[in-house]
Amino acid sequence: MNGLIALVPIPTPNMDLGQIAPLEIVFGAALISVLVEAFVRREGRRRVQLVLVFASLIAAVAALVGLAGTRTLTAQASVAVDGPALFMQGTVLLLAIVGALLIAERSIDPAGDAFAPRASALPGGREERELTAAGWSQTEVWPLFLFCVGGMLLFPASNDLLTMFVALEVLSLPLYLLAGLARRRRLLSQEASLKYFLLGAFSSAFFLFGTAMLYGFAGTFSLGGIADALSGNAGDNGLVMLGVALLAVGLLFKVAAVPFHQWTPDVYQGAPTPITAFMATCVKVAAFGALLRVMYVALGGVRWDWQPMLWIIAIITMLVGVIVAIAQTDIKRMLAYSSIAHAGFILLGVIAVSEAGIASTMFYLAAYGFATLGAFAVVSLVRDSSGEATHLSQWAGLGKRSPVVAGIFTLFLLAFAGIPLTSGFTSKFAVFSAAIAGGATPVVIVAVFASVISAFFYARIIVLMFFAEPAEEGPRVVLPSAFTALALAIGVAVTVLLGVLPQPLLNLAQQAGIFLR
Amino acid sequence: MTGLATVMLSVIDTGEQITFWICGSLALIGALGMVLSRKAVHSALWIAMTMINLACLYMAQGALFLGMVQIIVYTGAVMMLFLFVLMLVGVDSSDSVVETIRGQRLAAGLAGLAFALMLIAVISRVTLGDVGTQGADAVYGGNLQGLAALIFGKYLLAFEVTSALLITAAIGAMILAHRERIEPKKEQKDLSKERFLSGEHPGSLPPPGVYARHNAVDTPALLPDGTLAENSVPASLRARGAIRTVDRALGDEVQQLAAGDGSLEGEDLR
Repeated sequence: MNGLIALVPIPTPNMDLGQIAPLEIVFGAALISVLVEAFVRREGRRRVQLVLVFASLIAAVAALVGLAGTRTLTAQASVAVDGPALFMQGTVLLLAIVGALLIAERSIDPAGDAFAPRASALPGGREERELTAAGWSQTEVWPLFLFCVGGMLLFPASNDLLTMFVALEVLSLPLYLLAGLARRRRLLSQEASLKYFLLGAFSSAFFLFGTAMLYGFAGTFSLGGIADALSGNAGDNGLVMLGVALLAVGLLFKVAAVPFHQWTPDVYQGAPTPITAFMATCVKVAAFGALLRVMYVALGGVRWDWQPMLWIIAIITMLVGVIVAIAQTDIKRMLAYSSIAHAGFILLGVIAVSEAGIASTMFYLAAYGFATLGAFAVVSLVRDSSGEATHLSQWAGLGKRSPVVAGIFTLFLLAFAGIPLTSGFTSKFAVFSAAIAGGATPVVIVAVFASVISAFFYARIIVLMFFAEPAEEGPRVVLPSAFTALALAIGVAVTVLLGVLPQPLLNLAQQAGIFLR
Repeated sequence: MTGLATVMLSVIDTGEQITFWICGSLALIGALGMVLSRKAVHSALWIAMTMINLACLYMAQGALFLGMVQIIVYTGAVMMLFLFVLMLVGVDSSDSVVETIRGQRLAAGLAGLAFALMLIAVISRVTLGDVGTQGADAVYGGNLQGLAALIFGKYLLAFEVTSALLITAAIGAMILAHRERIEPKKEQKDLSKERFLSGEHPGSLPPPGVYARHNAVDTPALLPDGTLAENSVPASLRARGAIRTVDRALGDEVQQLAAGDGSLEGEDLR
């Protein structure tokens, strides 16, 4: 021992900042947004935050467009910039812009936006009443929102399990908080937040456990490295199976697949409706992006082992989703179970294990996302004196009182059911045909059956809205400001456009090609 | 044949084996204690024990830095913060142990057992690539150097993005706990006005009476007109009815005393 260790210089990390520009823009804006909270006077905060959020999201989209066609690994191969990653990131960003429009709305509720004036005030207490009267609002929602979007951009693009785990936490943590900030029915909202947090932490632990198993097998976190280790390995892959199963639990929790769906109805019901809309769409996109990447890039070599597992999960997810949705009496819970069923349909694209599977999954996510945002926007408009009127019986006869809003909601329901000339039909057709080509015909048969059941309960709501007598003291439809109106218009336009003219987006999804290793 | 246990036995020397069996069983006992103890503080202390033993295991395997971080950060900082929180919330508040779903605990126990058996079954048959900490440390000339190369090299982006997590956590804590002042802070003048407007006694209350033979707190003072000042006795004594009667000299006795009549000396003044 001469006491001195021969120091090997650490190579300077090579970060091509241009290739992760969308990430940088969103995270940078999130940091500025935190500073805005600290330094801008209360009266001006909302305006500054809104400018910052929309400007940064649009700038990120622009940066993403500039990256189109790039196919490379960057940031020491921890981020993949390839077609599917860019497509998913684009979808997340566009959905986030529409989601931000919903979050920014504050003329629906007479008291202000959808968030509690101060989360630390006792629900129903004197302080809360005073703050509401003074028109306070919690602008901290915006930095949290931006951090969440940043995590969602990184999640489907991560090329190693470590980065993916960090991204998973970055996108989850703000959501746990945002879910608990509802202005109305705050106890329900706080309960939702706590449930989501505990179960989410649990699922993250599963993800981490799976990561450890795969690391133990391959000696690397990198998805490509795991694939190499798998192809060089003969037999004896207990660690891999365990790792795949545990990793899948973590990811399937995020996409709300049965049996990891228990949190979904409670959280969707309790969270502020704009946050529910954001959560139901963007989280699904990001999580399916990550699921596809892990399964296709790292675990493609053992697809014969995980495919049956996903077959079963897809089947029970679709069936449980549609069957339990029939029994729901709350519109938000009904939409939650419908989103569980849709997770099952989207899984069809994953089990196809083909390029068409990737393309159809991505198309489905985009189509479903815009319709869901629109549907939740409508839910936020139907109100009575105590807030949103979410009980189904209160929606009776809505079509007679407000035919436009009921008509828009009908369009979204038809899209969910997969009726032709809506985006839902095209996307269901795309995943079904990809799954049949991938040899999953039995699952597709179940999926068609589930679609029929789902059409039943969507139709039931349409009948309730248009053919039932309006309740005496029923809710009224509030006239929204330009924010929600724009979000609704985008939702309607995309849903119709993707139903009538799906080819441009389908082509784009197909051009995205396969994942880069 | 090439199960994990065999690999371990062939690679690990006796000292490390002894450490493993002692620390491993203690860590397991700690984990069980954490789950089984009724009181949150006990649980926290049990898990601290588990963490310290895990740290010893890390160090025995040559991961010195990780072991120290485990002790300093997890056991030292995180667990102690956790204890602080428990103390703030109240040590006495224990969770309800009533099952809301029937048979849930049994089902959870069985599922946990099955999961553990599955893990044991799989992991005990696994063969691991034999890199070891020594091999890994050698690349950059040491354990710490190797970690630095990974954190500031390969995983730089993940490391940077972790800061988003910390900021989110800080904002979350602020949102859930911080109360910004709504109305302006009250000045001395406002407090004084408030005190007089409230209609209650504005100043400090009169002290108890001081007499020849009594000056305890239960002795009321007398007002100038000779009536009792009730508020000179603490409210709790008043409520209990424990106010001492005041000995009063009768008017003529006072006259006699003033005139120098000594016959009253030594008698009680009633």
